[in-house]
Amino acid sequence: MTGPLSGVATVFRRELATVVRTPGYGVLAAGLLLVVVGLLAAGGGGATGFVPAVVDLLLPTEVLVPLVAVVLGYRALLSDAESGELAVIRTYPVRVGEYVVGVLLARTVALVAVVGVPYALVGGVVWLTAAPDTGIFATHTGVDSPVLFVRFLALVLLLGAAYVSLAAAVSALAASRRSAIALGVLALVAGVLGGDLALLRSLAAGASPTTIPEALALTPNGAFRGLVFEHVIGVAFAPEGEFVATGRAVAALVVWSLLGAVVSGAALAYGRRVDAVIEEIRSGFGG
Amino acid sequence: MARFDPYADPSLAVRLALAGLLLVAAAATAGAFAADPEAAAPSPVAYDDVVELGLSSETDALMAGSARVPRTEVFYSQLQYVVGYNGVESFVATVGDGRTERQFGYPITVYVETFDDARPGTTETGLFRSERLGEWTPAEEAVYVVGSEARSPAGETVVPFRERDAAEAFVADHGGRAVDWEVVRSRSFDTDSAAAVRGTAPDRWTAADERIAAAERRADRPVSVVVSEDAPTVEAAVAAAPANTTVVVPPGTYEETLTVNESVTVAGEDARIRGDGNGSVITVRAPDVALTGLSIDGSGGQTRDPEAAREGRDGGDGTWDTNIQLGYGHGDAGIRAIGAPGLVVDDVTIEANASGLLLREGSHAVARDLRVNGTDEWRDGFMGITGMQSRVTVTDSVFEGGRDGIYLHRADGSVVRNSTFADNRYGAHLMYTGDALIADNAFRNELFGGVTVMTRPSGNAIVGNDVRNSSAGIQASGTRTYVGYNTLVGNELGFSTSSRGSLYERNVVAGNDEGARATTVVPSSRVVANDFVGNADHAGAGAGALRIWADGDRGNYWEGANVGTHEPGERAYRPTSPVDAALHREVAAVAVRESPAVALLDRLRGTVPGARSGSIIDPAPAAAPYSPDRLAAALDPDAGPVGADWRAELNGDTGTTTMDTRDRNATGGSIDPGARPAGPTTAPPTGGVADA
Repeated sequence: MTGPLSGVATVFRRELATVVRTPGYGVLAAGLLLVVVGLLAAGGGGATGFVPAVVDLLLPTEVLVPLVAVVLGYRALLSDAESGELAVIRTYPVRVGEYVVGVLLARTVALVAVVGVPYALVGGVVWLTAAPDTGIFATHTGVDSPVLFVRFLALVLLLGAAYVSLAAAVSALAASRRSAIALGVLALVAGVLGGDLALLRSLAAGASPTTIPEALALTPNGAFRGLVFEHVIGVAFAPEGEFVATGRAVAALVVWSLLGAVVSGAALAYGRRVDAVIEEIRSGFGG
Repeated sequence: MARFDPYADPSLAVRLALAGLLLVAAAATAGAFAADPEAAAPSPVAYDDVVELGLSSETDALMAGSARVPRTEVFYSQLQYVVGYNGVESFVATVGDGRTERQFGYPITVYVETFDDARPGTTETGLFRSERLGEWTPAEEAVYVVGSEARSPAGETVVPFRERDAAEAFVADHGGRAVDWEVVRSRSFDTDSAAAVRGTAPDRWTAADERIAAAERRADRPVSVVVSEDAPTVEAAVAAAPANTTVVVPPGTYEETLTVNESVTVAGEDARIRGDGNGSVITVRAPDVALTGLSIDGSGGQTRDPEAAREGRDGGDGTWDTNIQLGYGHGDAGIRAIGAPGLVVDDVTIEANASGLLLREGSHAVARDLRVNGTDEWRDGFMGITGMQSRVTVTDSVFEGGRDGIYLHRADGSVVRNSTFADNRYGAHLMYTGDALIADNAFRNELFGGVTVMTRPSGNAIVGNDVRNSSAGIQASGTRTYVGYNTLVGNELGFSTSSRGSLYERNVVAGNDEGARATTVVPSSRVVANDFVGNADHAGAGAGALRIWADGDRGNYWEGANVGTHEPGERAYRPTSPVDAALHREVAAVAVRESPAVALLDRLRGTVPGARSGSIIDPAPAAAPYSPDRLAAALDPDAGPVGADWRAELNGDTGTTTMDTRDRNATGGSIDPGARPAGPTTAPPTGGVADA
């Protein structure tokens, strides 16, 4: 293999090796599984079907998945830069873009494993155990179906991918591990709360409610929530209206992922020059 | 385990496996979004296995004859149970009713029973009948006959057919016209609801007043014979007395048993009639007999007649409940009335060895100031009043000990009021008895329960009773039951919501082990404006979908629900959740309740109630008790039985209540007995994704 793909593939493999050698990620997946199972057990929704299970998981997922994604991504690009390995890699014929894409792909695969496996396991448990309270009456599943949980899982991973990419961008911008943590937390809070707060603020400032379906789709969490309402939970209701503009919401999640990648690439490519500029400005102030 | 080497080129097998996995994942995801989860229409199930709503299938009119109610099977999007509606119109009444959609989701598939080959027709009384069961046909494919002469026990009924020809043939015989599903589902039907039952409760009280007044007039007859003076025994006096006169029984004890075969009044003056321990003491076999001012004891102790029951089984008239009729209706009693309508029992005391007053075969009776002292051990005795196919009107009476205070079997329209029950098995026990009123009674120390309605009758009103220290306060099954204004204190269970399409409101439920229990698998009743205070558990739920106990934005009062840092009524209360259930007992539960974990889980809980199970939610718990005075009296150990002025309250609002009387599965548009009509609901049109 030659060309850009070979560069991406090499970086991808190297990054995957890094991920696999980090035992913490395994612990993370186990922890996530524990939390998700605990939520279902406490909420009770998993006892009767997939839709109530998703209802129980939806809000906690909005916090948990971004958190895991940020943990997976906040040092993705920083550690190579810190250790000087990035400088070495740059001496090989690997372009910044290829490097970033390779790293991000590997981290996304890690996300699929760390988030996808626990959620899929929980879905499997619901599939095996969900049953009506009593068997003395005829029962049916209504609209409830494993298909809905697969949809939910796909949306969860899409949300996670956006956050991995954004966290990677943070890691590319950060100058040190400590600042990466700080920036990562900031990104997490901004993502989980910020978008909705901004939406609230704009509504309070007089924005028309008709803009909600489109405005909601702009933030990763809003898009995710809207999509889950629209395609998973909303199926249980008579079809009317829409919770979110589906195309726009999916596009938003994809765009956030791409945006993270672009910012990462730009930061790695031009970061040093920016640093130099900043350094100049700082010395100009009397350093 | 194979070593993971990311740098080695993977073998072809691994590559193929990876590519395959990716393909499968991609296809599954794409398929998941492309597939329509509601596409597969479930097949009809055996009607015996559905959860029934709508008309009762066990009213006397249906049980006794060949009449049928066309049935409907509905598969709802959220509900795991198949719902069967008796009467197409029962289901139609729920279409577009936001409440049903909120609870169960929307109907995915509807089947109706079609009667093309079932030889449909009408009974002599105009009820719909068919010789055979119908077949299941998808609702939108069927043709419906509306406005025909065929009726259900509740009113107009729609008769579905698979083929238009069959429908037209039915129209030719029985009138009406054949229409499509779209027409039927947009029609409204004039049928009754539990709110309508509430509206009639004061009327039933008034009707009882009239019956009592008429009984008084009946009993007031000129004296013709005086026992001892004109005749040696009471029996001889009764035999000698002309119809419509009074036999006076002077003070004393008369050791005899007698049969009254003439319409006379037997008026005792502190007189005691003592039987010989065999059979009944007084047997009445004539209409309009009055028995007043008597004490009766010495009846036989046979509670049932196994011989009669056996004969009935073997060669009787084959009525569906012959066994019970004969078994329960043929024991010994202080007073036994057989085919004796218009019986008046006034100021009578009975020491009962079996039944006190036994009525059968249409012995409609009025009992006032009747005191029945039953056996100490309920197994030894029988009922204070046994009413078989006899409508009773009981007021100001006392029933102590024995099996059941009052047992009614096919006694539609009975009224039991202002009476006191203590130490029975059941206080008032109704079987196959509808349209009755059980009001303003006091029940104490009932071994099994205060008021119990078994089987599935329709339209009973249980109002203003006070039940304490009993196994259960009120357990009423059936349909369209109104359970309101009762005070239930210190029982093991306050009340159960066993009756469907019913209304449970304005009850004060205090100091019980369990305040209320949701029992029906599919919720169809309204539980609203009740006060729950000081119960170990305010409420519990059996198997079935999540119950929403509120009417629009009006919930119940739950002690503890508003503890904490939120505005009263702002936060949904779940009496079945371990945290909420502890709020009125342990303040620290507040801190748990405010935790993010609980908040995140609680937030959307009411979203798909039909798909959840085993719990109760009140989305709008009240800030203050609805009946503070009665509550205070209930909690005061020195106060006597608590009465509610329900007749004034229910009468006062008949003009202002916006009842939706066509919706008999729920209980009406607004069930607020005050003047406030239902405001526009704040729930989003999607059915409540926002918040329960």
